[in-house]
Amino acid sequence: MTQPLLLSADGLTLGYRDLTVVEDVTFELARGDVLAVVGHNGSGKSTLIRTLLGGLPPLAGALNWPLARPETVAYLGQRTDFDNRFPIRVRDLAAMGAWPGLGFLHKIDGECRARIESALDRTGTAEIADMPLHKLSAGQLQRALFARTMVQDAPLILLDEPFTAIDQTTEAALLTLIDSWAAEGRAVIMVLHDLSAVLQHCNSALLLGQGRALFGNPQETLTPHNLVGHAYLSRSQATWIETMYRGQEAGHV
Amino acid sequence: MFEWFEYAFMVRALVATSVMSFAIAPVGAFLVLRRLSLAGEAMAHAIVPGIVIAFVVSGLSVVSMIIGGLTAGIAVAALTSLLARMTIIREDASLASLYLIALALGIFVLSAAGSAVPLKSFLFGSILGIDNETLVLIGATATITLVSFAFILRPLITNTIDPVFHESQTKYPGLATQWFMFLVVLNLLGAFKALGTLMAVGLMILPATAARYWASTITSYLLTTFVFALLSCWIGLIVSFHLPDVPSGPAIVLVAAVFFFISLILAPQGFHATARLNPACRWKQSDGDANVISKTGEKIHEKTF
Repeated sequence: MTQPLLLSADGLTLGYRDLTVVEDVTFELARGDVLAVVGHNGSGKSTLIRTLLGGLPPLAGALNWPLARPETVAYLGQRTDFDNRFPIRVRDLAAMGAWPGLGFLHKIDGECRARIESALDRTGTAEIADMPLHKLSAGQLQRALFARTMVQDAPLILLDEPFTAIDQTTEAALLTLIDSWAAEGRAVIMVLHDLSAVLQHCNSALLLGQGRALFGNPQETLTPHNLVGHAYLSRSQATWIETMYRGQEAGHV
Repeated sequence: MFEWFEYAFMVRALVATSVMSFAIAPVGAFLVLRRLSLAGEAMAHAIVPGIVIAFVVSGLSVVSMIIGGLTAGIAVAALTSLLARMTIIREDASLASLYLIALALGIFVLSAAGSAVPLKSFLFGSILGIDNETLVLIGATATITLVSFAFILRPLITNTIDPVFHESQTKYPGLATQWFMFLVVLNLLGAFKALGTLMAVGLMILPATAARYWASTITSYLLTTFVFALLSCWIGLIVSFHLPDVPSGPAIVLVAAVFFFISLILAPQGFHATARLNPACRWKQSDGDANVISKTGEKIHEKTF
């Protein structure tokens, strides 16, 4: 990797005062990297995100930002608490990405407006920009939220399960966007719920589970052996997958 | 037709309710948007003991009413969020318990203090007997509310739509919402004086729910809410002027109710539009589907390894 390092985590212990969730989390993230975070429920995926956002200091270890911590860390969370009946148009939802930098009484300026329009274009939401949120499908809403994430214009982007409840076409379009962010030199950290094609777009993976963490490239990290070791798969699931895998290999020969 | 204009108390009432509408409209609108409509009603009762004790201690003084009401309101709000965070009981149940305690306490003290207490004006307000102090209270409340909204509008919108996102973007995510709850209590005090404890929230909630059927952007929503609140006050006051036995509080709220029903039937997001709503549960459903696909192993095996 010739890109400069954005973030390195060195032996992090994550959790809350009375509860350690995961220990010895070590990974590196350079500009242009796409890192997948995989793990079972409660393995510390969300805790890691909260720590990276700055809302939760690590219990031990160090989080280093060689280029200084970015002013904005873009974040797209899960939509459990999202209110899609709020009277606001897609364009304004995207503009929300620029609000924190605006200060209290300032209006959105020309440069910012151009950023919003470009984000709407690139996410394919320009035609629905004037629609209220409650008329959107889940896929359209996720595109609009990706537009908001782009308007945040951050060097580091955190996505928490971005493809849950999204159809294949939308997922493919959003993955193309993520690739383009990486090409622009932004780093992306994606929490993934399922092992899927999404991993092809990641150049590194962090496997969390059983209080431990494993970091490396996706092919070497997310092996059936490691997935069982970190309680992501049961042994019988892993055996089945391995059997299928061997069968396919043999077929190709 | 316009003979009411010659009466000073009517002009005062019109001025007071017009100024009040400016502040109460955005507060009511955000109560509705933040799903706190019923919490607003509960808060209106929660401030009663503070007001009653202030009344018993120092009579009909607006300043002591503000101090008593704010203290009681903020105490109940703070205790509610404390109980919801620290114990198993959720926010609605905590608030319900505390406001009932507060209301009982208020009525207990009111009765124990005995005579001389104008129970009817506690229940229904005294919009036609507004004194200078109350006018100042309503004017100051409106000023504080509108200036505050210039600062908290964006954080409040963000927090209402997407609290998780808002928390990630600010160091003090609770600041805007707590200030908003303070504004709610402040506006309840003004409305309490004018409309009484039973009707105070009516002018907050009904114009806001009626307007919700029409508006699809936040700006048009806030404006429509204000127009409905203002018209409810004017028409309600004139109706109660012509029907001397009718207290003005219920008259104003009933006019707001008429706006509500008209909007329900005619507005673009009223009855006939329900079929177009995307229910929130749709996500949950497809969430389940996605899991089923991955658990078959088909996709995992083909594309990952």
